[in-house]
Amino acid sequence: MKNFSLRKLLLGCATLVLFILVWKLVTDAKLISPIFFPGPERTYAALEKGLSGGALLTQTLETVQRMLLGWLLASFVGVFLGSLVGISKRARAFIAPTLELLRPLPASAMIPIAIAFLGFSDNMVLVVIAFGALWPMLLATIHGFAAMEPRLYEVSAVLGLSRGQVIWKLALPSAMPMILASLRLGLTISLILAVVGEMLASRAGLGQSILAASRSFRSADLFAGIVILGAVGLVGSRLLSFGERRLLRWQAVNR
Amino acid sequence: MSASTLFKNGWRAALLPVALVVIAQVAATVTQLESDSLASPLDIARAFVSVMADGSLLRATLDTLKAAAIGCVVGVGAGSLLGIVLGLFRIADDALDLTIELLRPIPVVALIPVVMMLLGFGAKMEIVIISLGLLWPSVVLARVAVKEVEPRLMEVSNMLQLGFTDRLVKIVLPAVLPQLFMSLKLAAGYALVVAVTVEITANPLGLGYGIMMAQQALRPAEMFAYLIWIGAIGWLIGVLLNMAQRGFFPAFVKGERR
Amino acid sequence: MPVTQLSTRLPHGAAGSAPAASQPRIRIRDVTLSYGPLQIIGGVSLDIVPGETICIIGPSGCGKTTLLRMLAGLAQPTSGSVELDGAVIGGPNRSVAIVFQDYGKALLPWRTAAGNVSLALEARACPRAERPAIIRELLEKIGLGRHTEKYPAEMSGGMQQRLQIARCLAQEPKVLLMDEPFGALDAMTRQALQDEVLGLVATTGATMVFVTHDLEEAIYLGDRIVCLQPNPGRVGRIVDVRLARPRDQLLTREDPEFLRLRRELYDLIKDDHQ
Repeated sequence: MKNFSLRKLLLGCATLVLFILVWKLVTDAKLISPIFFPGPERTYAALEKGLSGGALLTQTLETVQRMLLGWLLASFVGVFLGSLVGISKRARAFIAPTLELLRPLPASAMIPIAIAFLGFSDNMVLVVIAFGALWPMLLATIHGFAAMEPRLYEVSAVLGLSRGQVIWKLALPSAMPMILASLRLGLTISLILAVVGEMLASRAGLGQSILAASRSFRSADLFAGIVILGAVGLVGSRLLSFGERRLLRWQAVNR
Repeated sequence: MSASTLFKNGWRAALLPVALVVIAQVAATVTQLESDSLASPLDIARAFVSVMADGSLLRATLDTLKAAAIGCVVGVGAGSLLGIVLGLFRIADDALDLTIELLRPIPVVALIPVVMMLLGFGAKMEIVIISLGLLWPSVVLARVAVKEVEPRLMEVSNMLQLGFTDRLVKIVLPAVLPQLFMSLKLAAGYALVVAVTVEITANPLGLGYGIMMAQQALRPAEMFAYLIWIGAIGWLIGVLLNMAQRGFFPAFVKGERR
Repeated sequence: MPVTQLSTRLPHGAAGSAPAASQPRIRIRDVTLSYGPLQIIGGVSLDIVPGETICIIGPSGCGKTTLLRMLAGLAQPTSGSVELDGAVIGGPNRSVAIVFQDYGKALLPWRTAAGNVSLALEARACPRAERPAIIRELLEKIGLGRHTEKYPAEMSGGMQQRLQIARCLAQEPKVLLMDEPFGALDAMTRQALQDEVLGLVATTGATMVFVTHDLEEAIYLGDRIVCLQPNPGRVGRIVDVRLARPRDQLLTREDPEFLRLRRELYDLIKDDHQ
């Protein structure tokens, strides 16, 4: 990590402790009704009970599985289609503007359409996740291909590389920084849409469980769910950052 | 970006969408489409005219845009302020970094049940969620912007022995203004996404609720009219903000493109 | 030693100092190139014999680089033809390699030195098992033997340009094209690379066409120097360089003939600028 130091670690931990302490003080003083706002101890107890008792654990697995499945689907389709469109200047001229036009469309607005076709089903949620996470990857791949150093196209022509070799050895690696960044964004979107999908379609998972907890005023369970969702997001993005750094070592020496 | 590519490529850019609309219409006419989930382009246009005429679409648009705009201003404002402080004071940054890194990955939709429980339904709840959703990205962007202010300028302000307020107002803010505007631009698009998401998931108002109700009432033409309208609004906001950015910060836009 | 003379030919003159019997490696015939109404090159003819080193000089805008790109097959003449061993060059060809001036853009930043050389071997479907040995030999030869696992970003400009030359050699080209390859390097590095390239050309027997704006570099490297004139680009004069080989950075540059040639070319170029 950037400028890692002991001072930073100590200060960071101290602030975190302070943060939790303030949280405890606020709830202990009943500034907000404990029905709505649990203290750190109650949240921790709910977390421990949920994870050991199993309900929270299986829900987490459901959500993570949904998120990963949709993300993987979007990654493969996005990078594959993006490569096809990106490698040809003509395809880019015809197709890219339409894709740009569709980009600002909120993925969640597709949920009603997906419901109309697939009903309140697991597949509906999966399609919504994949569709939402698809855009950044598709557009990043196309842009990455378009942004390839023109000199490299000449190098490939002089060396006599085949079209497949140009895609695999030149265009994809040169677009890789953009693609990897979009994969990380895609994972964030996948988690959000997994939660939204579960809330709307009442499919098993953390989204449904925190909504139910909120409706029956089990605020400790609700907060426990949120903590886990945060942890899932954190682990996911950290793993991808780690992979990114490994794959882009050639770039790190630039800095 | 999208606007300029559109004009440059002219007919080539228009070919695909036009072809899709024509094909959809022909297919719908030939099969004499009767469906709960699909509608022909002509039916969608008709539905659009009718929701426009009875004012429901405009009312929903206004609700959504109002929530998105207020949320955007509050979220980006608070986030940028915190980000600037973190960028200026190393100690604050070191202290808060860990906490922020732990809070940041919480998906904003997970807060819907909490805020719903605290505030009930309505515009206020939506605004709070949008602000919270925009808070962390704004913090991160503002912090980076301040840290990248030319060190020479900071040395100049030290040599002149400027006070904190002077340094903030005369050196730092003008230097990071273009980045703050870009942050606002990104946030505006995201605010619309969060607003629609909250409305679809929970809040009974605005465009998201409208599209959900059209689906529930099995009126696919109206549903698609809403969808296209939402997309058009998102696109329009992007175009307008891009134009504003080009007007206010021409040099910065050029740099961004390069 | 014969009295050295300045030979001046018309653009349509016969092949150079090489024996007339040998077939030219490259034959440029009445080549013109226009972009719309703008004529970049107006009627260039030139024969280059195998193993010869031709240097092309001229003021900016005279079409030096454009001519080189036509030899590489990256640009096509509007009229006339460019032939390699009697066959018209219709597009890029693996037996012609080109070293670009902007090495930073022509190398793959995500591949190590070895990986960049390997690209040329992959392109000509060289068996995987043979590649490491060839790569090592080439990088040794060019003086990068200790840097095979470095990324371009970790290398100096001179090293990057050496790497690009190594990749071109991996193509096993008959013709090596150089587009102001050392223009962005400092003087010491430039001289070291000049000697390096002369050595490589001598051992591989490759034909070299070297574009430069540096008169001394042209004299030091070339067998013949082609002076282009601008608007549109055409051959002004072709000058024979009768300096002994192998050449030496100090001795050759002190040779009276070297100094005379430099004077000669300087006056030529100066005239073009007026």
